[in-house]
Amino acid sequence: MRVTLHRALALLLASALPVATLAAELTVSAAASLTNALRELAPLFEAENPGTRVQLNFGASGALLQQIAKGAPVDVFASADQQTMDEAQKQGLVQAAQRRNFASNALVVIVPATAAKSPRAVADLADAGYARIAIGLPASVPVGRYTKSVLEAANQWGAIEPKMIGANNVRQALDYVARAEVDAGFVYATDAALMPDKVRIALTLPATRPILYPVAPLAAAPNAAMAQRFVEFLTSPAAQALLARYGFGRP
Amino acid sequence: MIWDVALRRLLRHAGTSFELDVRFASDAPRLALYGPSGAGKTLTLKTIAGIVRPDAARVCIGGRMLHDTGRGLRLSPQQRRLGYLFQDYALFPHLTVRQNIAFGRRTGWFNPGRAGTDEAVEHWIGAFRLEAVANHHPHQLSGGQRQRTALARALVNEPSALLLDEPFAALDIGLRRRLRSELAELQAGLGLPLLLITHDLDDVHALDAEVVHLQRGRVVEDPAMPLACHARA
Amino acid sequence: MDGAWIALLLTLKVAGCATAINLLLGVGIGYAMAHGRFPGRDLLDAALTLPMVMPPTVLGYYLLVLIGSHGPIGGWLLAHFGIRLIFTWQAAVIAAAVVSFPLVFKAARAAFEQVDPQFEDAARTLGIGETAVFFRVSLPLAWRGILAGLLLAFARALGEFGATLMVAGSIAGKTQTLSIAVYEAVQAGQDDIANFLVAVTSIACIAVLLSAGRLVPGRVPART
Repeated sequence: MRVTLHRALALLLASALPVATLAAELTVSAAASLTNALRELAPLFEAENPGTRVQLNFGASGALLQQIAKGAPVDVFASADQQTMDEAQKQGLVQAAQRRNFASNALVVIVPATAAKSPRAVADLADAGYARIAIGLPASVPVGRYTKSVLEAANQWGAIEPKMIGANNVRQALDYVARAEVDAGFVYATDAALMPDKVRIALTLPATRPILYPVAPLAAAPNAAMAQRFVEFLTSPAAQALLARYGFGRP
Repeated sequence: MIWDVALRRLLRHAGTSFELDVRFASDAPRLALYGPSGAGKTLTLKTIAGIVRPDAARVCIGGRMLHDTGRGLRLSPQQRRLGYLFQDYALFPHLTVRQNIAFGRRTGWFNPGRAGTDEAVEHWIGAFRLEAVANHHPHQLSGGQRQRTALARALVNEPSALLLDEPFAALDIGLRRRLRSELAELQAGLGLPLLLITHDLDDVHALDAEVVHLQRGRVVEDPAMPLACHARA
Repeated sequence: MDGAWIALLLTLKVAGCATAINLLLGVGIGYAMAHGRFPGRDLLDAALTLPMVMPPTVLGYYLLVLIGSHGPIGGWLLAHFGIRLIFTWQAAVIAAAVVSFPLVFKAARAAFEQVDPQFEDAARTLGIGETAVFFRVSLPLAWRGILAGLLLAFARALGEFGATLMVAGSIAGKTQTLSIAVYEAVQAGQDDIANFLVAVTSIACIAVLLSAGRLVPGRVPART
């Protein structure tokens, strides 16, 4: 009994020790809208760089920035808007010289596939028929900020904001619409394309400023060399082709 | 017949079984269930009171049929109107003496108040000399006071018979003697049939009770029992 | 800090309603389980305790499926009464009630089981009906244990986050409880707001736990 207990303890301790792993890790924090595309891109990068394992961490760009600012050991940061990356740069968190834009997107209004009506213009959303509208929280979610600026430009923010159901990231907004818990939602064109059976695009909105995705290696990246290569990889033809397949535009 | 009781219960617990098969009938106003511990005396008493379910039973007390499995009749304990004195008295700890005694006088969802407005309750408080402690809680009472409170509580509801589970066991000899004679007087005065559990033959003699001798769940004849009458089944 | 006070009041309202619901359900079911002897009782007890051990997000997902617009309960409510539960404070109450139910139920069951059955039997022999026995004997003798459970449940409901976020979302003034407000303040980098909210929540929880501690059953009055 004592011997087996000793052995079990030894095994437990051994597994907990940070033994030098064969694979080097690369941690990438990326905007939620990049989930599907990056999940497909990661193996491609790993194939080109054997011995490296890519760890993906998705969320709203604002939330990801907070994690990095509070010391999360991230190598690469890809956000959905310039503003978050600017903020990161201002706090000295990224290697500014290696910052790149690697994709663009469009803002769309979606409704549940089962919805009877579709708004024909943004102003329609102010009608009583649209009681709940999923919008990303502007304080931390880029798609929410894009939405707010578009609606402010159309003078509709005051009318629509009371109906806002705040989403913590764009995928949550998408989920709300897909479940028909809201009457409409603002997401990226690439997100809407993922669930054609559950949501349909009602409007494609011209952005007041272009939706450009920047990426940069972090100043305190544990794996600095590989971080730099990942950033370059995202702008490579292979990666760009894959991003295009998901509906992302050129940077 | 004042007492006409037949009950059967098979208990199984952790591999062992205990069978209660008790039958007795008697005209004696005072009956004692006598026997060693584990014989099934409390189980019998509780079954008669209706707080324990037997497998089959026929219970007729004072001419009133309380339980008859054959005819599908089974009165709830509430309906049986039997006074029951528990071994530990079971006085409600959250109520005063007066409230305890008055408990059965109210059938609603609320307990009786602390004021003494019920004549019958006050009568019993006086009869049992509990005036001084009427507003005390059970934990503040002596053993004798508790016993008298429990008795008053049972009697104030004018039961048709009184069932007592070792009413004197927790008391010292002097108190026991005194309360025994009080109980005998009470019973004679009220004409209330009495069935009590005891393993003390002195109780039997003092109360001049007929004996139902229980052993291992059954009524037994014991010719070695001096001066006791055996109730015929 | 205006928003913080609104969040606090909303949180107290949600937690209060959830605890009131659990008072009725938890005490009733706890009593039934303490006294019932039926096959499958232990299994039922485990099932009723499940919300306490399940991750709140898993629970939140099940609730979402049940009371969402397409769910069996939510769909029925929508079709017959035009009621949409998701994103309402009522949904927040449901989430908080479900996760804290086991705390009341288990405490109530234990408290009722500790009541000597002799007292209830004595009441019966005195002619008191079953419901009256519950209100006059069982409940008064078990209330301390039940109250301790209620206070723990209230504290749990105060801090409920995962399940609430899933079914009630985060609408300032309507469903944004303190925990959710903290989460979003952190995400937005508003540390000063987050600190304030965390302090308020902590004080509330500590106050509740201290009260619960004073009511631990077993405090027998001194014997004279």
